[in-house]
Amino acid sequence: MKPARFDYVRPDSVDQALDLLARYGGDAKIIAGGQSLMPMMNFRLVKPAVLVDINRIPGLEVIEDQGERVRMGALARHRMTATDSMIASRIPVLHDAMHHVAHMTVRNRGTFCGSVCHADPAAEIPMIVLMLDGQVEVASASRRRVLPAAEFLVGSLVTALEADEMVTGITIGMSDPQSGWAFEEFSRRHGDFALAAVAVTLGVDADGAIRNPRIGMTGVGETAMRMRGVEALIDGCHPDEDMLGEVSEWLNDNLVPNTDIHAGADYRRHLSGVLAGRAIRAAYARARTLRGKQDE
Amino acid sequence: MNKPDYSDVVMRPKLVGKRIKRTEDLRLLTGTGEYVDDVQAAGMVHVAIRRSDRPHARIIAVDAHAAFDIPGVIGVYDMTDFEGECEPAVPTSRMKDYYATPTWPLARGKVRYVGEPVVAVVAESRYAAEDALDHIVIDYEPLPFAIRQVDAVKDDAPLLHEEAGTNVIVRREFVRGDVEEVFRTAPHKVGGTFRMTRKCPSPMENRSYMAQWDKRNRALTLYSASNIPGVVRDVLSGCLGLSSHQLRVIAPDVGGSFGGKGSLYSEEMLVCLLARKLQRPVKYVADRLEDLAAMSQAFDELIEAELAFDDEGRFLGLRADVIGDVGAFSIYPWTAALETVQVISFLPGPYKTEAYHGRIRGVLTPKPPTGPYRGVGRPSSTLAMERLVDMAARKIGMDPAEIRRRNLVRREDFPYRTAPGIIWDQSAFLECLEGACAALDYPALLDRRDAMRAEGRWVGLGFASYAELTGIGSRISVAPGMPINTGTETANISIDATGVVTAAFGVASHGQGLETTLAQIIADELGCAMADIIVLHGDSSLVPMSTGTYASRSAVLGGGAATVTSRGLKAKVLRMAALLMEQQTGDLDLHDSTVTSRASNQSLTIKEIAKAVYNQMGRIPRDQREDLVFQETYDPYLGTACSSTHLCMLEVDPGTFGVRILDYVVSEDCGRIINPMIVDGQVHGAVAQGIGAALLEEVIHDGEGQSVAASLADYLLPVATDIPDIAIVHIEAELPNNVGGFRGMGEGGTIGAPAAIANAISDALAPLGVEVNKLPATPDRLFALVRAARQDKPPAE
Ligand SMILES: Cc1cc2nc3c(=O)[nH]c(=O)nc-3n(C[C@H](O)[C@H](O)[C@H](O)COP(=O)(O)OP(=O)(O)OC[C@H]3O[C@@H](n4cnc5c(N)ncnc54)[C@H](O)[C@@H]3O)c2cc1C
Repeated sequence: MKPARFDYVRPDSVDQALDLLARYGGDAKIIAGGQSLMPMMNFRLVKPAVLVDINRIPGLEVIEDQGERVRMGALARHRMTATDSMIASRIPVLHDAMHHVAHMTVRNRGTFCGSVCHADPAAEIPMIVLMLDGQVEVASASRRRVLPAAEFLVGSLVTALEADEMVTGITIGMSDPQSGWAFEEFSRRHGDFALAAVAVTLGVDADGAIRNPRIGMTGVGETAMRMRGVEALIDGCHPDEDMLGEVSEWLNDNLVPNTDIHAGADYRRHLSGVLAGRAIRAAYARARTLRGKQDE
Repeated sequence: MNKPDYSDVVMRPKLVGKRIKRTEDLRLLTGTGEYVDDVQAAGMVHVAIRRSDRPHARIIAVDAHAAFDIPGVIGVYDMTDFEGECEPAVPTSRMKDYYATPTWPLARGKVRYVGEPVVAVVAESRYAAEDALDHIVIDYEPLPFAIRQVDAVKDDAPLLHEEAGTNVIVRREFVRGDVEEVFRTAPHKVGGTFRMTRKCPSPMENRSYMAQWDKRNRALTLYSASNIPGVVRDVLSGCLGLSSHQLRVIAPDVGGSFGGKGSLYSEEMLVCLLARKLQRPVKYVADRLEDLAAMSQAFDELIEAELAFDDEGRFLGLRADVIGDVGAFSIYPWTAALETVQVISFLPGPYKTEAYHGRIRGVLTPKPPTGPYRGVGRPSSTLAMERLVDMAARKIGMDPAEIRRRNLVRREDFPYRTAPGIIWDQSAFLECLEGACAALDYPALLDRRDAMRAEGRWVGLGFASYAELTGIGSRISVAPGMPINTGTETANISIDATGVVTAAFGVASHGQGLETTLAQIIADELGCAMADIIVLHGDSSLVPMSTGTYASRSAVLGGGAATVTSRGLKAKVLRMAALLMEQQTGDLDLHDSTVTSRASNQSLTIKEIAKAVYNQMGRIPRDQREDLVFQETYDPYLGTACSSTHLCMLEVDPGTFGVRILDYVVSEDCGRIINPMIVDGQVHGAVAQGIGAALLEEVIHDGEGQSVAASLADYLLPVATDIPDIAIVHIEAELPNNVGGFRGMGEGGTIGAPAAIANAISDALAPLGVEVNKLPATPDRLFALVRAARQDKPPAE
């Protein structure tokens, strides 16, 4: 379990890093936290000729409050995201999701942007990025572009990133302070990748009906998903047994999860319905409470 | 929690029974231990192994030319390079109907499982050796195979070892009474198919070996992460054509085994052969992928079993037909009978069951060989029996504690001979059951369960009572018919010229804390300070005959040897002191390293006595002077029962089918406790391992013979968040009839936990009519069981 031979370079600036990528292209790999890349290299599933270590580039280890949005720098570690008080109050659904991302030691090094670049189909962060209108800042030596998360995440472990490009940061929208949220995940052991996970934010109107729901899921498809079909189904409704039953049915009809050794597709479809029901209820209860406070 | 109370033990020894911190922990917990991978030598080279990716194939050709282009590569070897340099290890047995498969250093002619070592690369670094692996081309001719035991057992199944003439290399049967008749007339019967799927022992340290050839003495030293260095020395010296002077096997600090390092491995032979061939130190350290693919695995029996009982819940008869999937080889030295035969020899458990018919067939399949695993056989047999007991209780509406109470072997029945011939000596079978019930306040626990159920929650509780045979003496071999004596243990204890004590044993501690517990015993028996004792173990050169540490033997046999040897040495010390002090030995006491006289106020320290014996010639008459050295072998002859009841309550999430353990208690009788802290640690660790077996761990081979749980991301070991608080009740009933009064207790947790959890989940799902008979009870399996029950049809598997 030793990696194949590689060269190692440690640029001091983003420009240097981009120059290196321009020079080596597909032979090079960025290393951020290394928590996904190193296992793959040790298994010799990937054999980059050059590792470009961005860990000493100043200015990337940041989480910036931009008012309407939050910007996660390329080296924002999972631990920073999990403990950031602004995120806890302004994007509580992300805060809750972070409890399910790996374990302490992995969180100390793993990065928000690295997780999105890795695009594991059962990871939590890509789902949150999709759900909260994430914009991925992509740079190469010759151009800069910003991709919506839905365009960036292409498939299982596949993104729209070109060989000479790196992600310099990702922005996501802050949640409406009036909205309720919930995050439900089930995995075989705490900290494992999700068998299924559901994130929900929603508001309620004066009649107690659901408004502006956003629903993300992970672990049940080729990529993380924003569930616009379910959002449409529950928008304007009151969450009762019938409605949640319809949600389950919709998921059952539309999801095509994998079967792997941890769970079959049938179970994952069932689990999705259960977790979606729990998350919608919990988010709704929170939204009602917030609305109640506002009405007082 | 009930702490053991020793106040009634008369003349309680000073250190045995105390919660003493483990003396080995200072080095192990501060990173100063020395494991095989830490052993360095000048000129050392490294091995990487190309393993089979085929379940069954003939090796046509190996082309390694391209590998030599990798810088640092020294040599590439397949089995043809060692022909004539070694003999295979053959795990013989006196058992009938058994075929002993030979173990070679590398696959010879054929490969028989995915993961079998085929080609070895030797290089200046492990990196270079692994680089070379990709450049080796092996030409295989695929051969047919039957991956599932139910297919491999058939007469027309493709043969894995043609010389055997069959895949069924182990057959055994136990019969007592007219079982047919009992079942024909019994008022009630329950039955089912029970299965503990394959496990990998997964110790924290992977298998690691380093062999060094000493040109001067024409001798080999093998550093091996092994818990049987003595066995390895004896067999390897034969395979390599060396006298046993020429081979020393040292197991330095060993990071766990759980049975996985308790057999001989091809890789051990390989590094020895390479070291001799190359005349350089050769190191091989398995990585996690290799150990998951090629370390000895566990269980994997298909058990069809049935229990007959009357209206009072009394067991009348038991029968079982078992197919054990032993993998591709019979493992050295234990043979493929170790795990399989124990399933039927322990199936009746701690219960009185007069009529019994148990049959096992051990069948070869293209998978890694099974071998010892903490609990051996009994995790499977206990799962089957304890499920049957609960099914019986449910059938006649009897409380599961009550049905056990009615059938456990009682005080007045000991010694009790079970149908397969195991003798249970005095052990607290019933007291353990009552202890578990008392600890969790069983009636209140039932009320709590029922209250939670009334809220619609799926809550259940489960018992597992079992007994195991530990500390087995020379009368019985640990594995059926095995020609190696495992029933004795030798200690050599000496006091040197400076007065310190060196105690050498044949055991090989690999996490049990034997350096501490054996020193506790010696300190008490000899009367010296614990700080003055060093315990040596894990080295084939220490005592004339040794095997190692396995089968819950070391506290009983090692402790017994420590006791009798210390007593012999103490007598010598007192004789020398008597001469020096001009006193009668009968008037002398030895405590805290000091001899005192009851007839005078004289005293002498051990240090002073040692000085007189070894350095101050003339102080003791020449013809009466004795070296302060004593060696003795202890043989408990029979084995001793260790018994326990586990009780747990758990909850199944009706949506996710996740299982959460709410309460857990282990009530156990391990005889006299040497160190309660170590005993508690063994129970906690073993229960955690049992929880892994019950809920998480599973080695899975697909239809192509590939192992699909190939890394620790897929082979799920329990982690801290999976383990509940585990309460422990120690019952010290009548002590067993051996020297120290000790019973072996390192394995019990893995025996009881899977059955207790299966029973508790079955209880939680009883309203749906679901029985959990196959472990691990994964969410996906429970989902399928519940769905099938709701649709009233059997689950597809
Ligand atoms: C035991 C364990 C458990 C885990 N459990 C979970 C879990 O439950 N949920 C979860 O979401 N994750 C889990 N992870 C993965 C963890 O979150 C990783 O840290 C994360 O997926 C990748 O982030 P990283 O910074 O470590 O990326 P790296 O490993 O450094 O890189 C991953 C990939 O992204 C590329 N990359 C990284 N940064 C950039 C960039 N700025 N621009 C372009 N490409 C880039 C790399 O080239 C590489 O291809 C687990 C990991 C481990 C080891």
